[in-house]
Amino acid sequence: MVTVSHPRAEGGRLSGLLLVALPVVLLIWLVLWPVLQAFVGTLYFPGKGFSAASYVYFFSDAYSLRNLWLTLWVTALTSALRVAFAMPIAIYLRFRKGSIAAFVQSLALFPMFVPSVLVAYAFIRVLGPNGIIDTLLVAVHLPKLPSPYLAPAGPIIGLVWEGLPLTLLLLLSGLGRVSTASVEAARDLGAKGWTIFTRIILPRIQSSIIVALAFNVLGLFSAFTLPYLLGPASPEMMGPYMQRTFSDNADPLNATTQAVITFAFCAAFGVIYVRAIAKGRKGPA
Amino acid sequence: MTDLAPLSPFDASPAAVGRIVRREPVDWTGIAFLTGLAVVVLLPLIVTAVWAFAEIWRFPAIVPQRMGLGYWQDTLSRNDVWQALWLSLSLTTTVTVISAAICFPAAYAFARLDFPGRNLLFLAFLSVQAFPKFGLIVATATIFLTLHLVGTFWGVVLIQLVGTLLYMIWIPVSAFQGVDRRLEEAARDVGAGPMRVFWFITLPQALPTLFAALLITFVSTFYETDAAWLIGLPNVRTMPMVMISFINNALEVQYGAVLFVFLWVPSFVLMLAARRVMGADAFAKGLGG
Repeated sequence: MVTVSHPRAEGGRLSGLLLVALPVVLLIWLVLWPVLQAFVGTLYFPGKGFSAASYVYFFSDAYSLRNLWLTLWVTALTSALRVAFAMPIAIYLRFRKGSIAAFVQSLALFPMFVPSVLVAYAFIRVLGPNGIIDTLLVAVHLPKLPSPYLAPAGPIIGLVWEGLPLTLLLLLSGLGRVSTASVEAARDLGAKGWTIFTRIILPRIQSSIIVALAFNVLGLFSAFTLPYLLGPASPEMMGPYMQRTFSDNADPLNATTQAVITFAFCAAFGVIYVRAIAKGRKGPA
Repeated sequence: MTDLAPLSPFDASPAAVGRIVRREPVDWTGIAFLTGLAVVVLLPLIVTAVWAFAEIWRFPAIVPQRMGLGYWQDTLSRNDVWQALWLSLSLTTTVTVISAAICFPAAYAFARLDFPGRNLLFLAFLSVQAFPKFGLIVATATIFLTLHLVGTFWGVVLIQLVGTLLYMIWIPVSAFQGVDRRLEEAARDVGAGPMRVFWFITLPQALPTLFAALLITFVSTFYETDAAWLIGLPNVRTMPMVMISFINNALEVQYGAVLFVFLWVPSFVLMLAARRVMGADAFAKGLGG
């Protein structure tokens, strides 16, 4: 391709800066400044000097630690489940074409179009006490299941459902890099499904899986709406915990401390994720 | 697929279909996935939709004892529902319009102009993704406290606006990059000024994607709960907040179900339109796939 030169590059310098100025100002004022403020404001107190008391409190408070632990394992389990459910669908969609595959794809992406409030409401009707699952079980004379509603399983089910489409899309775009020829060659040599998956497919989509996991961890670690509506009141995940500390206890210092702690736990995933998108997009050029 | 194209539909049927069937046996895996997904994905939505039209549905009946539109009248005559709906619509419109006004020009600059710090600034927008969202909202809310923006309309506008920045810049950047430069050059060669070229050549080509970005922003802002909750309540009660109060206060089950159907159907149509324009690939690319 002939590269097109920037004919107005010279005149673009100032106007370019002016055009991006407003969003950049917003970004600095409402994202970068609050983050900086959160770090500094929880450690340095004008007139009193440095103090890490709010962090000491968090890490010595049994309730805070239980919330953190709940958040950690729910995040880990939910991310793993999303990938585990999305993977077979993604592999199927990668190697199958046709109307059934098209339907499978539309259905699997469908939850993307259902906002979380509505997901929560629908799941209470299904899994809640006397929900449709209970109704069906009673209809066939089986005992009711212990309801996952208001237990850790509630938000896990809801979050897996809600996050399936984006995980699927990330895996699918990774599977685009696996050539049909290599899979067929392996099959001709007698490789079975599992061998093909672990030897041919998995190594090629490793980076996509890592990106999908990082993306999921970032979204799940401070998930709020579904854990709040479907999850237990105590212990609670970091999202609802921060909200309650901020609004109900009117305690912005401890809420911000909790926010900084979530930043810290997600930092590594954040770096992985942002590097991946930056690489994928190769900047705006 | 392609080898079928030259055949007329007449002789396509028996022979060609037979060939396809031989090459692609019944897709049992697909049927299994389809059944599983249909239950898991659609059941919650269908059950909720049935609730919206159920006047009496007592456990353990599998179907409602009485169907009807009674609860539609009840729900839609509630004051809090209409207040929240107008509030949400004006909030969402304000956010979307401001976002478009500041982000589309910025996207054009990122896509087409060369200016100092361009890559660094673009990376700064990406880096927002490295933070867990609710943590960011809490950090911003702390600042809003000192500015007395918590519980105000403009506080919610600002925080939701920040949430839209990313997609309202990313998606249009790819739209402006996709514009065929040769057409612009041609127009310039025949004497069109820069504004004319932008207005008649660049903009029309980018328009469908810009429109998709607008739709996505509108719908996702309408349903935004995290920020609206932390910054808006108790004074600014958006539609999702009313929905949540229906869930928490366990009023009639049907109120929530009616709102579900009433609100979700239009938003679903809008999102479908947006996706048609953008395609699933673009979504995945934006996410780092």
